[in-house]
Amino acid sequence: MKRILPLAAALIATGISLVATEGYEIQTILTGSSPTSSRNANWKPGDGLTLEVSGMDFLPDGKLAVAIRKGEVWLLDGVLGAPDKVRYSLYASGLHEPLGVLRDGDSLLVTQRTEVTRLRDTNGDGVADEYLTAARGWNVSGSYHGYAYGPKRDGRGNFWVALNLDMGDRSDNKAAWRGWSGLMGPDTTFLPMAAGLRSPCGLGANAAGDMFCVDQQGTWIPSTPIYHLRRGVFFMNPEGIASQDRPDAPLKLSAPVPNKVPYPEALRALPEMVPPAVWLPYNKMGRSGTDLAVCAAGGKFGPFDGQFFVGEFTDAKVGRVFLEKVGGEYQGAAFPFLSGFASGVVRVLFAPDGSLLVGMSSRGWSSLGTRAYGLQRVRWSGVTPFAIQEMRAQPDGFELVFTAEVDPASAALAASYNLKSYTYLYSNAYGSAEIDTQSLTVTSAAVSEDGRRVRLKVDGLRALYVHELRAAGVRSAKGAPLAHPDAYYTLNRIPGGP
Amino acid sequence: MRRGLRHGFAVLLTVVSTRAEPRVVGFERFHAAAPDAAGGRLLYNELGCVNCHGGDTGLPSRRGPDLTTVTTRANADWLRAFIADPAGHRSGTTMPHLLANRDAADIEAVVHYLGTLTRRNPAPPKKIAHLNAEIGKALYHTKGCVACHAPRADYAPPDGRPGAGEFSYGAAAFPALAEKYDVASLAAVVRDPLASRPDGRMPRIEMEGQDALDIAAYLLGITSSDGEIAPKLPHLTPDSALATRGREIVTTARCAACHTLPTVPKVQLIALERTTGGCVDENPAPGLPRYALNPAQRTALLAYLADRAAPVTPAQTVHGTLAALNCVACHERAGQGGPDAARRPYFLGDHNLGDTGRFPPPLTGIGRKLQPEWLAEAMAGKRRERPYLATQMPVYGAAVANLPRLLATCDARQETALPAGDVAAGRKLLGTHGGVSCITCHRWGERASLGIHALDISNLALRLQPGWLRDYLINPGAHRPGTLMPSFWPEGKAANREVLDGDTDRQIASIIAFARDGKGLPEGFPATSTREFELVPGARPIVLRTFMAEVGTHAILVGFPAGVHLAYDGRNGRPALIWKGRFFDAYGTWFSRFAPFEKPLGESVVAWPAPSEAGGAQKFEGYRLDAAGVPTFLISVGGVPVAERFEPGETGTLRRTLTWKLEAMRSLALTHPPGLTVRESPSSIPGQLEFIYTWP
Repeated sequence: MKRILPLAAALIATGISLVATEGYEIQTILTGSSPTSSRNANWKPGDGLTLEVSGMDFLPDGKLAVAIRKGEVWLLDGVLGAPDKVRYSLYASGLHEPLGVLRDGDSLLVTQRTEVTRLRDTNGDGVADEYLTAARGWNVSGSYHGYAYGPKRDGRGNFWVALNLDMGDRSDNKAAWRGWSGLMGPDTTFLPMAAGLRSPCGLGANAAGDMFCVDQQGTWIPSTPIYHLRRGVFFMNPEGIASQDRPDAPLKLSAPVPNKVPYPEALRALPEMVPPAVWLPYNKMGRSGTDLAVCAAGGKFGPFDGQFFVGEFTDAKVGRVFLEKVGGEYQGAAFPFLSGFASGVVRVLFAPDGSLLVGMSSRGWSSLGTRAYGLQRVRWSGVTPFAIQEMRAQPDGFELVFTAEVDPASAALAASYNLKSYTYLYSNAYGSAEIDTQSLTVTSAAVSEDGRRVRLKVDGLRALYVHELRAAGVRSAKGAPLAHPDAYYTLNRIPGGP
Repeated sequence: MRRGLRHGFAVLLTVVSTRAEPRVVGFERFHAAAPDAAGGRLLYNELGCVNCHGGDTGLPSRRGPDLTTVTTRANADWLRAFIADPAGHRSGTTMPHLLANRDAADIEAVVHYLGTLTRRNPAPPKKIAHLNAEIGKALYHTKGCVACHAPRADYAPPDGRPGAGEFSYGAAAFPALAEKYDVASLAAVVRDPLASRPDGRMPRIEMEGQDALDIAAYLLGITSSDGEIAPKLPHLTPDSALATRGREIVTTARCAACHTLPTVPKVQLIALERTTGGCVDENPAPGLPRYALNPAQRTALLAYLADRAAPVTPAQTVHGTLAALNCVACHERAGQGGPDAARRPYFLGDHNLGDTGRFPPPLTGIGRKLQPEWLAEAMAGKRRERPYLATQMPVYGAAVANLPRLLATCDARQETALPAGDVAAGRKLLGTHGGVSCITCHRWGERASLGIHALDISNLALRLQPGWLRDYLINPGAHRPGTLMPSFWPEGKAANREVLDGDTDRQIASIIAFARDGKGLPEGFPATSTREFELVPGARPIVLRTFMAEVGTHAILVGFPAGVHLAYDGRNGRPALIWKGRFFDAYGTWFSRFAPFEKPLGESVVAWPAPSEAGGAQKFEGYRLDAAGVPTFLISVGGVPVAERFEPGETGTLRRTLTWKLEAMRSLALTHPPGLTVRESPSSIPGQLEFIYTWP
């Protein structure tokens, strides 16, 4: 009996860490006790910390600054240690639904609905006493959905902010800069840069310092896109385009916005419109993308340095995105990564130790998460999962890079791979089905000498279409199937193509 | 066949310039491209063939309008022209030309006969106090009228007007409305079409009398708001000799086959013995009803007549009924119907619910989805479960009497009974304390949901059949494409493993059990008293940003322990409100996703005058908190930094201090709110002004 008990315990541990066979485990730092404990009938102001995470950044002293939707910034000390030893202290309060926080020198920049605010603790007591306006200039109508996100710093030192479209009562998307992204400018100004956003909930720079943004499916937006933000481009949703007539607009559309046409056709009709670097197909990669963080863990988070990890609200999960430049523009592939988070994922941030912090809140929309809010941490066990590490476009197909050596027999079999491509309908409707779907034929699969790469030759690539791969037949050299056999490549350009 | 078709087209081309074929939208949508017997059955019913020739189409009875009141609602001149040539005077009418061999005197006699059917001393018409065609325009285009009738060019839905090419089928045409009706008579038809057309082909959208008047005013092009100056129908005094002759004509023409006429004998059915030499012919003999059938209609009718006795499945009858009543204008069923691309923009509702907030639900499997009693009541117009849809489900009257039973027969399938439910577990699951939080999105009876406003589910046990609900909860999107509802039992596996050990069927059965038998509410609704969220300043002031009426979107509230409070306008850099007593209820700011504009909780509210649209010379720069937590607002006035600070003084007063560098600016333009006493403090000096506000 004595011997059996520890064995049973070990079995249970294996069961719990099924996630860990993929090499990653989720540790809870703090979550609400129920799906809406932040807002339940028994909760009162002062009843404790409702960690509805809406922004995160690390301070030089190792503390984690966490903005929460209720309007506070908390400092969490010891967040990379034992969860029950984390110390929480209130740094700032009374903010209007801040949705981002970023350390800048001795201060924290937080984006409230109305402005970016610079918070400083001038007397060293650990609590901010200075709340100075750092950037403003966008209209605030009072519509509930008039959210403002950011700031995030790009490689050139610019601070990016993104502004949600208004929705619901009091909406005024003709007023300044709703649905635009821009920079914090001199003298507390907002410098508009890019138009065509709907719900640009998360911003983040890649390893090269270019700024990206994740938008969400909705009107005019067929499925969650990730954009490469730049000056003078238009992405997808034209509901806030009226601001192009303002004197400081960096862009004016030269053609009418098309409607109810396949997305590639819309792109051809509207010269200023640029495609997302990556589409996250609806349901397959979740429903509402919320944030992205580039992995620079130096191998401490598995073999994914330089890739984006993308938060998702409805399914409470995190996806993974590989980008490459083809013809000077970013494009790439999305892969499922990890699900089972406690609440709708709103923010993701890599910690200095290479673990991934995941901040959550499910208030207002439904999520598969079973808690109202919280903070969790994803750690890599050191066991490399068998995954498609990269998917690269080739003139006549794709090159797959695997995280581990493949079994040459299964990987060289064309039948181990299924590919189809599709696009979306660009229209004012809410989201789009996949349209114009075609199956593609994999004519050959050649395994590299080191067993880590497979070159797929494919008939029928279509530029601007999402190419969905299912590599269900591939096995690792050790005989394991892929943890996630699916990959979604957004083939804006075929290398060597026009 | 090929020759016949070509010939048919030739006839159509010659006819089309003067009169269109009778329009049966369901035929046009589902059968015209490939005319078949099912389409023929629909026409045989909808064109009234069955009323003369008998048979059982299985479809709801199609009748002509009630003629006993026709001369009170339609202008006699219009009646003359219409009877003389129905399709020529009203494009698409299903009324055949019955009096083609009659002259104008005969037509006059028929009109006088109709005049005798009307009650002699009608009640004097009600005064029409007010008309608003603009409201009528909005109602016409959003309540559901344009599901069947054509939208007009003077109204643009929020998503923009459709192009003409996007209409995939025709609209139910109007007669020349201004020739036929006056505003009162048209309003009466709009408000209750079933009163004059009990066959339900134009159903009744429940509305206020004023709404119907406004719609009528819009359709008649009456722009004046004074209903009394609108034209009125001239009175018809029937001549009894003419009426007697008219009655004979009506009897001979068999009008009573389709119209209820109390003073003529019932018509005898005419057996159908052949399919040529009758009304289906391209040029029927004089005296026979003339329909301007198009080739597809003729082909379909002949196909049906060739084998009228062929058995019909319930599914075919359902489809025929939905097509006859044009339910499919709004509802899709099994991949057929639903509004086309052109009509979709006119369906409005709650955008927070996505497409499900705008479009009526599909009828696929509806006979298995709804409990039989509920389905019957819904069809009878007694249930309106989706208040957020601008389009209203109309009432069809007797026409849908058989439909619930038919749908139930059609959609039934072998159901596996759910296990017994546990009321307490159901309550937990519905709620937000360890459940799956249905009430986050769904209303529960009188209690609004916590987030988006999806439909009331407190009645789900009465409304829904368990088997369907189980399937729906496992995969909502399969039953309602585009729904925002996620599955909490994806692929049948419960996401919540804690309640009933994650047993999917028992969890779902428990939700039903609580809805059926449970007492009280699911857990997680906030207390009805929002006092729970009252912020009470303790040792230090409370500073909080929110939206506030009379302050704006950049309101910064400061609540002082002394019970005197301030709302500062962080957009215009100015104080906006001060008040006393209780400070603020944060319920809306912290709880509601819909970010309402708030009001102070206390009393003695005093407001500064609203700033001009352009704003003043002040620019808001932020605030600093001192050691006691009191904010000093930083503004710049014409480029000069000014610090502005508010603090409670003695006995309910408020002290306002403004400080700036004297060298930069001699004086400062200031406003004080009306309704309080302003005293400048003796310590006030240029560069540092201090005022004491006292108010009751």
